[in-house]
Amino acid sequence: MMVLRRKTGEAIRIGDDIRIVIQEIQHGTSIRIAIDAPIHVPVHRLEIYQIIQQENRASSDTHALQWLQQRSKQP
Amino acid sequence: MIAQSNLQQGEFIFPQGIAGFQDAHRFGFIYEGHGDMTCMQCIDHPEAAFILTPWDTERLQSPPTLSEDHLTCLQGSSQAPVDYAHLMWMLVLNPFADQQWVTANLKAPIILNLETRRGIQYIRHNTGLNLRFPWAPQPQLAASSA
Repeated sequence: MMVLRRKTGEAIRIGDDIRIVIQEIQHGTSIRIAIDAPIHVPVHRLEIYQIIQQENRASSDTHALQWLQQRSKQP
Repeated sequence: MIAQSNLQQGEFIFPQGIAGFQDAHRFGFIYEGHGDMTCMQCIDHPEAAFILTPWDTERLQSPPTLSEDHLTCLQGSSQAPVDYAHLMWMLVLNPFADQQWVTANLKAPIILNLETRRGIQYIRHNTGLNLRFPWAPQPQLAASSA
């Protein structure tokens, strides 16, 4: 993993089209960052994204349609 | 009932994919003829198949406000601003996790633009939202209690 040292107001660029700016450092424990990315690149807090990933995988199944068909047959 | 006729008129593009299925961008809808659930099937990845149901304002109140980024994603190549009348909010159901209930993911609903045929999964950062909200009894239980 690459590690960079940046100050408030400085930026990082990833590829041609992603820019991350350090906006503010609060109480030395958290930082506020701005992310400029193309619309097809989703940006989320990691812990929330991982939860949704897991739930999507748990909800998705090749038998989803079969389940729906069986449900439809019931009165 | 779902406005199925419009849903099934061709594919929807999800520019951002779906969390856990980043390469899944093209989806079609399969409806079994009655009820309020439909299957959203990825065209390129058979394992990415979800059961969806429309957002229920009576149970959940109005859907949340969309950001400019979300609207841009739903706008697609259209130059016109997104018409809210063409947006359809849906919940991803999980029929496989619980023996008693089909659960609904309130944290990450699906939004479809019926006009531009674009879709997104809107991941909400409110931590209090229920990932497995009891939505409907499992079909066999519902049938036995009827």
